[in-house]
Amino acid sequence: MRTVDLFDNYLEGKLGAQELAAFELRLSSDPVFQKAFEEHKTLVSILNASNERQILKSKLKHIHSVEFGKEAKIISINKPEKLTKRLGKTFMVAASAAVIAVFSTVAVLSTGGQVKQQDNAIKQLSLNNDKVQAQLDVIYENLGAKEDRKFASANFEGSAFALNNNGYVLTSWHLVNGADSIFIQNTSTERALTKIIFNDPALDIAVLKVEDEGLSKAWQIPFTFSNKSTDVGEEVFTLGYPREDVVYGEGSLSSLSGYGNNPAMYQVSIPVNEGNSGGPVMDSQGNVIGVIYGKLTTAEGTGYAIKSTEIIKSINAVEGDAAKSELLLSKTKSSLKKLKRSEQIKKIDPYVFNVLVYKERK
Amino acid sequence: MLKAKVNLTDHDFVEGLKTGDDVVLKALYKKYYNLVLKLVVSNNGSSEAAQDVYQETIIILYEKCKDPEFKLSCQLQTYVYSVARNLWLKQLKKHGSTGELKDYHQDVFEEAGSDIKTHLKKEESIDKVYKSLEELGEPCASLIKDFYIKKMNMEEISEKFGYTNADNAKNQKYKCLQRLKRLYFDNFTIVD
Repeated sequence: MRTVDLFDNYLEGKLGAQELAAFELRLSSDPVFQKAFEEHKTLVSILNASNERQILKSKLKHIHSVEFGKEAKIISINKPEKLTKRLGKTFMVAASAAVIAVFSTVAVLSTGGQVKQQDNAIKQLSLNNDKVQAQLDVIYENLGAKEDRKFASANFEGSAFALNNNGYVLTSWHLVNGADSIFIQNTSTERALTKIIFNDPALDIAVLKVEDEGLSKAWQIPFTFSNKSTDVGEEVFTLGYPREDVVYGEGSLSSLSGYGNNPAMYQVSIPVNEGNSGGPVMDSQGNVIGVIYGKLTTAEGTGYAIKSTEIIKSINAVEGDAAKSELLLSKTKSSLKKLKRSEQIKKIDPYVFNVLVYKERK
Repeated sequence: MLKAKVNLTDHDFVEGLKTGDDVVLKALYKKYYNLVLKLVVSNNGSSEAAQDVYQETIIILYEKCKDPEFKLSCQLQTYVYSVARNLWLKQLKKHGSTGELKDYHQDVFEEAGSDIKTHLKKEESIDKVYKSLEELGEPCASLIKDFYIKKMNMEEISEKFGYTNADNAKNQKYKCLQRLKRLYFDNFTIVD
């Protein structure tokens, strides 16, 4: 019998009493034999450990996919370097909207329009554990110092998007509440005056209508309103105007309720800033699933969006209003389903607006 | 019995893992996942990273429980959290982070670090064995695994690999094992 076989038999308890006694005697008296045995034992135990660990690993993977497989894939709740990357991406999107690229560059250079961008400088993350009491910040900002081309500067700015092909757009009520005049504009639509048609202060939404009937003649909204609740973990994105150019932000749906467990809202892990309010939140297929409402000031990338299902309910509740039929949401089929994200954005971009709000200063 | 039990105690979990009870393993996995998920994603990690950290944590606890000497000297939740925290901190430091963490659990079990060290050492040995087996090539790698892991006897091995008889298979196994030892140990002790 080879020594190795002796080792194996010993480890498996296959030695007879006499053999065992001889083995143990040699083990205690022969250092070379002992060393060889220790090595053998180590190798065999690692072989077994590797197998056990592999079995355990696959068990855990299985448990995970059964129990948590459908849950959210969170990219990260707060990741400053990620945010920088996202900002980098937005510049690319902005560049693709080339129509007024020249214009806006001139405007920025000549009027010091940088103010807005500076205001949105990336905030350092607070890791202060004492700040348990999170504060919700409704997103809007006073841009009093900003010159806007030949127009007087707006007091508040935000985002909006087309609701249907009749010239109706949806935005945040907190943005337009108390306004003297409200304009919308983007790369394909020149500054246009709107009026408030409908509001739901409780839900914080408002519907505006473009005054100039001709303006919406060619509108062909490529997206639809989702009338179903979206799942946690769904990849979502938004377009909005935290700066002069449209900005793209992406993330995932992190929770089915908003701040303070508000069931009318979703929590999204999209980095949003002042000016994003009123912008659409869309799923990967290009369905509107919500409207950006606000964000948590204590954590970057924790945004809140009013659910599309709540908005549909709210608009459907409008009674005896002549405008109701007009108000109806876009029923066209989404034509964005199979497109690449950059292609989707090109199609959505003409229907997402920068809202300029003028209010009398008190 | 255990299935019907709604609230397993720390002791139930440890005993269940000791005996390799899959129902307990599943219940344990479900119990603390969200805690570790919260910890990792709030500290610059993704949910995938959280999953990896959590599974490694469970493996450490599982193997710890298999040790007859093991006695849980803190709350199970504290143990799980501390191991996961320590693992994630290691990852963060690897990527040049300052080592500051936003915590979600008050107590931290200081000795978690030494359990992790033991675990990583073992992981290293396992990796080395895998690499050695790979280098060893076929049919040697399968032969070794069949004998030492699957516990197949020489007759079965002889049949599977097409050797003329069990003695011949034994001879092959011997040669393969010697080669594996040569690959695994820097210089191994020859006795035959």
